[in-house]
Amino acid sequence: MEKEPKSREGIKGWINPAKYGKFGIERFAWILMRITGLGLLAYFIAHIYETSNILNGKEVWDEMLAMTQTTEGHIFLALVIGMCVFHTGNGIRLMLVQMGYGVGKAQRPDYPYKPQSLNMKGKACIYATIGIAALAMWYGITVMFG
Amino acid sequence: MMLMKESVVMKIHYGTALGAVFLTVIHILMRMTQDFHESLEFENVLANYEMLGYAILLELLLILVSVHGFNGLRVILLEIKQGPTYEKAVSYGCVAAMAILIAYGTRTILMAHLGMV
Repeated sequence: MEKEPKSREGIKGWINPAKYGKFGIERFAWILMRITGLGLLAYFIAHIYETSNILNGKEVWDEMLAMTQTTEGHIFLALVIGMCVFHTGNGIRLMLVQMGYGVGKAQRPDYPYKPQSLNMKGKACIYATIGIAALAMWYGITVMFG
Repeated sequence: MMLMKESVVMKIHYGTALGAVFLTVIHILMRMTQDFHESLEFENVLANYEMLGYAILLELLLILVSVHGFNGLRVILLEIKQGPTYEKAVSYGCVAAMAILIAYGTRTILMAHLGMV
């Protein structure tokens, strides 16, 4: 029996620019979903460690807080807000797509074989998610620097 | 995770995502009940931990985000490379990391809630 072909591209497949030209904004959303997911997991682990400093008393907490309450710290937090909003919005889109919403009706595959699932509704959702993430970052910046 | 079907794992992934979003919104809104910088002061943060309801919310949030986050990491790592040994190592490694993080976070929540500061 013939072996099932494996995904051999690995991390090179992620960063191959040719793929972005071929698949457009959906490919961009795919990679951004993974990057924001990894970024948020790294932030979450750091946040758990950071907040554990509360057990070491007021002095240690204030020292740790002083490190994060800087311009760089606020910019980093704004990025986290953006990552969080994009990951949430795009995740909800993916859940809806997997439940069959917005993927279009099944059609006979005719040339040029455009997949029904990669339609304008999906593209509009991705652009809207990026826009909402940018707005959330801006709001976060006004709160932190305000 | 290997004892579960991938379809079940993905349902857990989506369920934990929705739960985490809901609890994260409450977690962020708690920072908005007063001035952002003021809400991060030692006394205020400790007071948050001492509220039973909020401590339970933090614990649930810790579990939901850990399960979702490490399952997401597992999915990414399995997309990059495949193989029986690799897949087992990734799955068990992610479960172990998740358990360690939950244990560490729970320790903070419990000790802060009980006033062991």
